[in-house]
Amino acid sequence: MFSVKKVKRKKSLLLSLLLATGMLLTACGQQEAPNPSIAGEVEKGGQKKAKMIIHFKTGSLDPHNSFYPLKFGVTETLVRMDENLEVKPWLASKWEAIDERTWTFTIRDGVTFQDGTKLDAAAAKASFERGVAASPALARALKIASMKASGQELTIVTTEPHPSLPSELVNPFASVVQVEAEKQMGTEAFNLAPVGTGPFKVKQFQPNVKADLVRYDGYWDGKAKLDEIEIAFNEDGNVRAMALQSKEADIVYQIPAEMVSVIQQDPELRVESVPSLRVHFLLYNQQKPLLQDNRVRRAIDLLLDRNSIVNDILLGNATAANGPFHHRLPFGSEDEVRKPNSAEAIKLLEEAGYQRNAEGKWMKDGEPLSMQIITYKGRPELPLIAQLLQSEAAKIGLVMEIKTVENVDQYLRDHQDWDVATYSNSTSPRGDGGFYLNSAFMPGGSLNPINLANENLIQVVTQLNATADIQQRVKLTQQAVDVINREVLHSFLVYPNMIVGVNNRILNWKPGAEDYYYINNKMDVK
Amino acid sequence: MGKLIAARLWQLVFVMFLLSLLTFTLMKLAPGDPVMLILDTEELAVTQADEEALRKELGFDQPLITQYASWLFQLMKLDMGESYIKGKPVLDELIQRLPATIQLAVGGMLVMVLIAAPLGILAAKYPGRWPDHVSRLFALIGASIPSFWLGLLLIYVFAYQWKWLPTMGKGGLSSFILPSLTLGFAMAAVYSRLLRTGLLESLSQEYIRAARARGIAEWRIMTKHALRAALLPVLTVFGMSMGNLLAGQVVIETLFSWPGLGGMIVEAIFQRDYPIVQGYVLFTGFFVVVVNLLVDLTYSLLDPRIRFGKGGV
Repeated sequence: MFSVKKVKRKKSLLLSLLLATGMLLTACGQQEAPNPSIAGEVEKGGQKKAKMIIHFKTGSLDPHNSFYPLKFGVTETLVRMDENLEVKPWLASKWEAIDERTWTFTIRDGVTFQDGTKLDAAAAKASFERGVAASPALARALKIASMKASGQELTIVTTEPHPSLPSELVNPFASVVQVEAEKQMGTEAFNLAPVGTGPFKVKQFQPNVKADLVRYDGYWDGKAKLDEIEIAFNEDGNVRAMALQSKEADIVYQIPAEMVSVIQQDPELRVESVPSLRVHFLLYNQQKPLLQDNRVRRAIDLLLDRNSIVNDILLGNATAANGPFHHRLPFGSEDEVRKPNSAEAIKLLEEAGYQRNAEGKWMKDGEPLSMQIITYKGRPELPLIAQLLQSEAAKIGLVMEIKTVENVDQYLRDHQDWDVATYSNSTSPRGDGGFYLNSAFMPGGSLNPINLANENLIQVVTQLNATADIQQRVKLTQQAVDVINREVLHSFLVYPNMIVGVNNRILNWKPGAEDYYYINNKMDVK
Repeated sequence: MGKLIAARLWQLVFVMFLLSLLTFTLMKLAPGDPVMLILDTEELAVTQADEEALRKELGFDQPLITQYASWLFQLMKLDMGESYIKGKPVLDELIQRLPATIQLAVGGMLVMVLIAAPLGILAAKYPGRWPDHVSRLFALIGASIPSFWLGLLLIYVFAYQWKWLPTMGKGGLSSFILPSLTLGFAMAAVYSRLLRTGLLESLSQEYIRAARARGIAEWRIMTKHALRAALLPVLTVFGMSMGNLLAGQVVIETLFSWPGLGGMIVEAIFQRDYPIVQGYVLFTGFFVVVVNLLVDLTYSLLDPRIRFGKGGV
């Protein structure tokens, strides 16, 4: 039996527990930043500010495991891509291949880190050592055996001949940071506010919510025009679009295609739709005899109207594809975009030994011809492309079934019941085709789930892998594209655009196809 | 009381063990692993041999039971491991995300109480009359509107049209209003009906008639006598829905860029970031059991029959 006193004591215990929880919550609340600044105006005292919203969130600014420090203009790499997607000097003013495994990079003079210290070869070396230790991906990409620093000269020796090393150094994971600053701040603090050489430094980073950047006055390429930039993260396209329309944000990445016309009606806003380095394509399961036949692949290729995908599925925000690489890239194909031709497709199927029965369905050796298309929801347009293919195939009596899977990469590798897959890859992320040709077309490559091994192609890619001269590499990449197109190894369909909404008060800024350099020192506001 | 707590603690250990075993097995059975993401195969030239090597390094080639045992062993040392993708200790990630989730939950509950309490009480006070109809209509609307749509609607009106509040982010008090409203609105629908039913039930009890006979003021009967008993089912449901409140805010978190646990767990599941998923499940399991214990303890405060071990529930 409880006594009244006991009950009272328990009551007060519970009450104090509740009170303590309340205080804890208030304390948590107080750690947060004050009111979010509303952009869209030049603040009092002539401070120039802008606000950008991007479609991905990040919980860390670890420069060697996150792309964002580079995207935000906090860090930079030794080499970069220019607007024509060609590799150009950046923190390295020049570089040279001494032999097939040795490279020297001359680090630009007069560059300082955001803590005021000078960037020299020793600092760059320390940064790469950190990067390789922190990121298994970067370690595999750079293949560094040893490094030597002397003044502004950085010598890198690779574990094997590595002619595409300069292009690999465009990778945001290869950002150059001040490792000494990390020692002083501690890794945790450093990964929230890394010290790089870029035009902006991190003022405050709220993981998964936003990053506040402030200008670094000692920037080597000229002080930035803007004083501060706020970059917020939001994964909902409609909310991002509304933030642009309400003028809360100045630049908004990945506007949903259906919102484009609404935004264009606002005279204060504009939409920039630029081709990305990604390509949507059909992957044929060439482990099956059916699709080992070049004629069957060509027949399917002729069923799809690439312009219809551009206009009806992507609402004009894409370019019809004529190969794995966008045709404005130096190594892109100059072939015409293939036009749909169902009569030709029928002819090819007949040549391959298929006949239509009385019901109009295709048969071979008494077996009906039916195919399975694999698609996934990660990119909303891909299931629509699968449906378009299914309906076009049905028109000539070709039966195709669609199966949607959750983890497409795993499915394609582990299963053999599929024939065609809608797929999407970023094909030239660092201005060089070598990465994609190796990953997607060489046996054992990680983007080659069907272990495609075309003798002609392997020969060209092997030669490419041993070539350092840029002009030669362009030629060899073009040769590889020719083989891919001629043999219809995949059917490349469209290069989707990146759609960015911009307030007209933003000056000197355009999104780049490389999708790396979001912030620069030239951008300004009216 | 002491016995109850001890029994619950045992239950806690058992529940957490079972939960972790179940999630571990299910996550491992689901196709895919984080290797391609760790190696960034989307952007870097990686071979399938590299992938296999990393799989081996991470122990993914070991039998499931060995993998689970090594995780459990690590946990015994109070180490929940590190996220494969973020490379950060799981505990740090949980602690970083927890305040935002709790703050949003508290905001939502506040909105819920502010709407559900008056609506529920009025509906019970005037059953079958217009306050009851209004409350029923509200409950119907509240339960039918999906929160992503309500959230978008609120953003459209308050942030886009009137520009009173920020569309997203987590800053000052103003940034709490829209997410809390979105969360609280749907909760209020359920709780207002629950409160009405509970109140009607307790208002028909003999002790209420006795109280009325003694001439006690009606508002006092309502708040002091009837409401206490009516809160019992409300609290029970609340305790049970706590887990949902912690993880079920994903949609709201996505809309408003709210850095809570819901978004983290969905991302971790898609990326097959096993340590994060395991850590999260343990954490919520712990939380739900503890909250339910607190709810049980609160019963005795609310209902003297439970407190004195006489009759009742």
